[in-house]
Amino acid sequence: EDFLDKPAYGALSDEVLADEKGIEALLIGAYAALDGQDVVNGGTVALGGGNGWEATPSNWIYGDITGGDAHKGSDGGDQPPINAIATYSVDASNGFFNTKWKALYEGVTRTNAVLRLLSEAEDITEESRANLAGQARFLRGHYYFELKKMFNMVPWIDENTENTNIPNDTDIWPNIEADFKFAYENLPATQDEVGRANSWAAGAYLGKTYLYQGKSNEAKNIFTEVINSGVTSNGLSYGLVDNFNHNFNAEFENNEESVFAIQMVANDGTNTIGNSNQALMLAYPYNSPFRCCGFYQPTQDLVNSYRTDEANGLPYIDNYNNNPVKNDMGILSDEPFSPDTQSLDPRLDWTVGRREVPYHDWGYHPGYDWIREQSSGGPYAPKKHIYWQYHADTYSDQSAWAPGNAINVNVIRFADVLLMAAEAEARTGNLNTALEYVNLVRGRMVDNPGNWLKDYIDPENPLDGFSDQYAANYNIERFPDGYFTSEEQAMEVIMYERRIELAMEGHRFFDLVRWGVAEEVLNNYIEYEGQITTDVRGGDFNSNDGYFPIPQRQIDLSTTAEGPVLQQNPGY
Amino acid sequence: VVLDAENGMPVPSANVIEKGTSNGVLTNFDGEFSIQVPAESILVFSYIGYATKEVQVNGRTEIEVSFEPEAAALQEVIVVGYGTQRKADLTGAVSVVDMESMNRQPSPQVSEQLQGQASGVTVTSSGQPGEPPQVRIRGINTFGDSSPLYVVDGVPTQDINYLNPNDIANMQVLKDAGSASIYGARAANGVIIITTKKGSGDLKVNYNGYYGTQMVPKGNVYDILSPQGHADIRWAAMENTNPGEPITDRQYGSGAQPTLPYYILPGGASQGEVDESNYFVDPNYTESGAVNGFNQIIRANQQGTNWFQEIFNDAPIMNHDISVSQGGEKGNFLFSLNYMDQDGTLKNTFFERYTARVNSQFNISDNFRVGENIAFALSNGNRVAVTGENPINHAYRSQPIIPVYDIAGNFAGTQAPSLGNSQNAAAILERNRNNFSKTSRVFGNIFAELDFLENFTARTSFGGSYSNTNGQVFNYPTYENAENTTYNQLTENAFTGYNWTWSNTLQYQNNFNELHDVTVLVGTEAFHNQYEEVSALTQGYYSFDPDYVNLSTGAGTQTNSGFYTEDALFSVFGRLDYTFNERYLLGATLRRDATSRFTNPRDGWFPAVSAGWRISEEAFMDDVSWIDELKLRGGYGVMGNQNNVDPANAFTTYGASRVSSYYDINGSNNSILEGFLRSRIGNPNASWEKNINANIGIDVNLFNSKLQVSADYYRKDVVDLLYNPELTGTAGVSTAPYVNIAEMKNSGLDLSATAYFDFTSELQMNTTLTLTTFENEIVNIADGVSYFDQEARRFNGSSIVRNAVGHSVGQFHGYNIVGFWDSQEEVDAANQEAQNALNNPEAEYQSDIGVGRFRYEDINGDGVITSDDRTFLGNPNPDFSGGLNIEFTYKNWDFSTFLYGVYGNDIWNQVKWWHDFYSSFNGAKSNTALYDSWTPTNQNATAPIQETGGSFSTANVPNSYFVEDGSYLRVRNIQLGYSLPNTILDKVGLDRLRLYVQGANLFTITNYSGVDPELTGSATAFGIDEGAYPTPKQIILGINLSL
Repeated sequence: EDFLDKPAYGALSDEVLADEKGIEALLIGAYAALDGQDVVNGGTVALGGGNGWEATPSNWIYGDITGGDAHKGSDGGDQPPINAIATYSVDASNGFFNTKWKALYEGVTRTNAVLRLLSEAEDITEESRANLAGQARFLRGHYYFELKKMFNMVPWIDENTENTNIPNDTDIWPNIEADFKFAYENLPATQDEVGRANSWAAGAYLGKTYLYQGKSNEAKNIFTEVINSGVTSNGLSYGLVDNFNHNFNAEFENNEESVFAIQMVANDGTNTIGNSNQALMLAYPYNSPFRCCGFYQPTQDLVNSYRTDEANGLPYIDNYNNNPVKNDMGILSDEPFSPDTQSLDPRLDWTVGRREVPYHDWGYHPGYDWIREQSSGGPYAPKKHIYWQYHADTYSDQSAWAPGNAINVNVIRFADVLLMAAEAEARTGNLNTALEYVNLVRGRMVDNPGNWLKDYIDPENPLDGFSDQYAANYNIERFPDGYFTSEEQAMEVIMYERRIELAMEGHRFFDLVRWGVAEEVLNNYIEYEGQITTDVRGGDFNSNDGYFPIPQRQIDLSTTAEGPVLQQNPGY
Repeated sequence: VVLDAENGMPVPSANVIEKGTSNGVLTNFDGEFSIQVPAESILVFSYIGYATKEVQVNGRTEIEVSFEPEAAALQEVIVVGYGTQRKADLTGAVSVVDMESMNRQPSPQVSEQLQGQASGVTVTSSGQPGEPPQVRIRGINTFGDSSPLYVVDGVPTQDINYLNPNDIANMQVLKDAGSASIYGARAANGVIIITTKKGSGDLKVNYNGYYGTQMVPKGNVYDILSPQGHADIRWAAMENTNPGEPITDRQYGSGAQPTLPYYILPGGASQGEVDESNYFVDPNYTESGAVNGFNQIIRANQQGTNWFQEIFNDAPIMNHDISVSQGGEKGNFLFSLNYMDQDGTLKNTFFERYTARVNSQFNISDNFRVGENIAFALSNGNRVAVTGENPINHAYRSQPIIPVYDIAGNFAGTQAPSLGNSQNAAAILERNRNNFSKTSRVFGNIFAELDFLENFTARTSFGGSYSNTNGQVFNYPTYENAENTTYNQLTENAFTGYNWTWSNTLQYQNNFNELHDVTVLVGTEAFHNQYEEVSALTQGYYSFDPDYVNLSTGAGTQTNSGFYTEDALFSVFGRLDYTFNERYLLGATLRRDATSRFTNPRDGWFPAVSAGWRISEEAFMDDVSWIDELKLRGGYGVMGNQNNVDPANAFTTYGASRVSSYYDINGSNNSILEGFLRSRIGNPNASWEKNINANIGIDVNLFNSKLQVSADYYRKDVVDLLYNPELTGTAGVSTAPYVNIAEMKNSGLDLSATAYFDFTSELQMNTTLTLTTFENEIVNIADGVSYFDQEARRFNGSSIVRNAVGHSVGQFHGYNIVGFWDSQEEVDAANQEAQNALNNPEAEYQSDIGVGRFRYEDINGDGVITSDDRTFLGNPNPDFSGGLNIEFTYKNWDFSTFLYGVYGNDIWNQVKWWHDFYSSFNGAKSNTALYDSWTPTNQNATAPIQETGGSFSTANVPNSYFVEDGSYLRVRNIQLGYSLPNTILDKVGLDRLRLYVQGANLFTITNYSGVDPELTGSATAFGIDEGAYPTPKQIILGINLSL
């Protein structure tokens, strides 16, 4: 018998992990699922299979491409499932959703493992127990929030669930709310490590959960507390950083604006980019120093929304496409082009890469040459997740066929909290408070013109730094006092401001859907953008497209003798 | 003189007796004899292993007799599980391989040579030297590893790549439960028993050698467009996609017609426009950002680069084999040395192997023998991946306007803009040149045999193998591609495998009353196996000089990894063979295996019974003189399979992964902290796959054994098939446990027929046909799971292969194309019908419907194309496969040819996805795409309208466009040999000297449009061509020499 007794080599059993140290390590594993990424045999994959980007934690596909902020980009035949996602013509067998679903439920599974072992383990102080459980439930709340906003009806699996094949017939908002509430009440205000969730992050997320459910009063109350008293895990009072770009720069991250962020690293010793923003590896300009792959190109519709009125520095909320920003469609890089000269919100050039404008310290974006196929993806490049050249050695990771970087993915940043709070205030009739919050967000730009994008001292040597010449004609002002006249008008302004502040951060589509304006906004976008690029032509958003299909694969897997346990969302 | 009819060799020590007398002599070493007999007498020739032959003397003084060894087939002793049996007494389905015919195929791999040589065995191999072929006995028996068990000199193993084909004395394939089930838990995929040579007779020295050239197809193998054609198709696609809009392009300029540039980097530059003195590239750069400072200049190759020919070249193959052997009463020995060197036709790929063998036996006394068989093999090779992104794939994706080299002789590539993202395949292979994988392996056994109490024989054998593979890959930074890798790194790995098998058997054999022949065998066997992997990687080398580069000389990140596993088996087994009166045969085997891989229960029983009836021995057959042998056989039993499960399957485990469970909780930006995840969900109740097999066979020898036919029909029910049903996503992504849940069934017919023709005493011919058919059906996969899909390739999310209940494994699945949409009216009409059917005014018949695109078949007739309209498009399993061997001998000449064919299988030609659709990445396109795609004036086209974007209605989903008939007939081998006559040999003191010339794989008849229809794959997904390594043609000169 001894001869035949072989253990599982190179692995641990759960008994070994059922103490504070083991649970702590399982909790780290639960954080590690935030990025949804894995590397198998050197290849980029999502947790549980599928391409890594399909499980994007920043939702560049599911929030920005679908939300009209970005094109798929690249060339038409690359990653074709995104074409269907971009035109709202997906069917349930589109593998992207299955990948995202699996990665998120792996996150849930890891948090449940923490909670299950915690209930069995002894010799853990109440304080530690509350902290560990609070973090686990915060993370579980996050994973379910992602599932909820994408798929709406999803099964709730927690640490006590034995059979994981259960129906998706119950609204899980109350469960998500309970997780964040528990985390809010049990987590400390500060943590030893900045990457951990603290009570204020849980509070902000709880507010967001209320807001998504239309519970404006509850949302307002908690946001007020968060805004007034909130601190980051490392004890900084919440605030807006002077330099907008510092939210997207690895050197300055985990600052006072970072409420909760997914920590990314570069050159972590794995010789992979599995922990280095792998899900965005496709989203760099093509034929450029970044090499690959030309995805995730901002839309003309988004760029136009940064147009401001020369006279008052305010946006054209109702008709921003009437005076489009000049682009370089069809103009080769060696042909002359001069960029737009009219008044623009300075956030544009921290959000979008466009021709003849400094692309961080990489030189002017050359237009055509860095774009894989203008006719389908348009003329622009993304910018918020692009690392700086002077950081390339430290914060970029070149150990795969496309770059990785150490720039955190912001799940919630303070500007987001302010704009969510503005919504809650506007919905509850406090128009002045709402306006105050919106103006706080705009005011950061207004008050810090020194941090607007400048031209290079020497365009031939972009690393030499920036002159004091602005890169474009920037002009932004706060909305005047009393600008909000009705809930409806205030909401319109808040929605607009939210788009331009948080563009290319994965929020847009989910915001449009929860506001109930997706059909109108997105069909207008398709109509406008379709005149410029071919990729979105034929797109049509209808009322069922606000939630993605439950992955067909999961419905098939749930099938028992009595039929499928999971039910498909309407319209698929 | 007495000669062997098959090979013309003299038969020494044969009995020659005058019929009806005791007057007799033996033949001498040269088969010669001399006897005094009356002129009208009859001589009777006999010898063990040959049919007795009677010859009328008719007054002749010289008589040449050809002994028919085939008749001896009945007397022939066959090695079966743990023993031997007369072929006549066989009750199981056993194919005996004709070693001589098999050895004619010039290959280092025994298993590759086996193709078409044994009925019931299918072998597919790649053209890449050293690539282990895929061997299937009676089709696919499991979703996992379907490779057979090999038993070499009594020692089980999974790997015979180290074997020198010339060392093999005989080879038997055990196909049914009756013959194989004595190997119990490892028998289900069939068993191949190999016995290596022993010395016999006088001291012999043999030398066999050959040298040859291997050739690849010439010309425009992939039917790729010229550079001008690529410019034209870009214009056509742009115009089709955005009619009337002006076209601009970085390479081809703008305007109504494209113009070919003089330079492709800088893109589209014309002659004189570029100052070539500004060229700067450092191909061995070490700073990842350095590539941004390069100024590479590449001239267009307006004539076009033939990328296939750039990477494939004719290559040599050679083999030298020498053996020394002797045998006698005191024992025997054989010593052999082999050197095999096969260069690949793909640049810098090769396989070379040295093998040494010492087999010896010492007869210590009349009843006690000890001996050993041991082989040592050293091999070295460099191979490319057979599937996925490999140099072949990049070669057919590269546009011909790209030259191999830039103006300074560095590599050129898609760094030149707008020419796609393929990599320079010649560069990949050049950078691959110092990579290798070296294996050393010792394999063998020692044994002792004791005969006692007259009827008993005890045998013990201890054997096993120790093997070590170490490999090295250096990755150079690239600069010439669109998507460059900017790091350099060295990866080294070492795999060490060690296993041993200790077998003990006791055999009792007796004959009672000349009627009852009984053999009983009992035995035990213990098997222990361990395997270890170590792998390490270092980046950041100052110099890429291979003499400098090792794991410690790099300045960058170092990583390492390891793996260890162990498993064991303990078995007891027995067999009973009983023959009554030479005509009624009964066999029974039983084995009990206990394994470390399963816990509850740990052991399993594998019984089998078989029976035979030699009808030809019955009295009523005495008058039917043309039937020499007629035997009916049948067997039933259970074979097991434990391969398809990880040794850790029983355990729920937690582990750590730096990429997926570590996290930068400190926000450090450059370091990660250890975290755990649940890595595996265990199933303590997993058990063997059970292959319940019924076999019925018939053996017939006719016309004095001039015609021998053996046919078997079988049916296998594979139950408790191990499958790891994907868990619902809600269970997390831990490795799902294997459970005994699936079921499949196989049936088929194996047929082999051999015929001998003696046209004259000098011109003889024999021919052997083998035929293999099998049908496979998946009966069950898992509760609620009716299929599992594989191979998404470029169709992210939808798969090419569906393994579904009610179908065979590996079938292709997707939308069936019924034509093109030839006009907007057709589109509108179809949409209108869809709108009526769905009562939805916005409905479309199919997504992305458009003129010139594919029209899919509405399988379920609901008026609209949905995922339910996908159907089975083809089956990669052939209806049958077969080999035909024909040999002629005329005086000292011999000629043989071997044909192999496969009929009725389909191939998924994924190369077409790259070539026939402009939208499928901006790479090389085919003549079909430009000249035979749909246009309003060419509606009877092959390919759809060419557009810049792919769509559901063209190339974004698997559809029937990619399915082709994969049947082929290949002349595997033609050989012409000449043996020098004895008169000359005697003078120079040689026994034998034969020279031959041969051609291998010279012709292939197929309708398949790809490079090679012979394609490998996994057990459940195969027959997919995304750039196969073609089997080369070979022209070879060889020599066989004996002293």
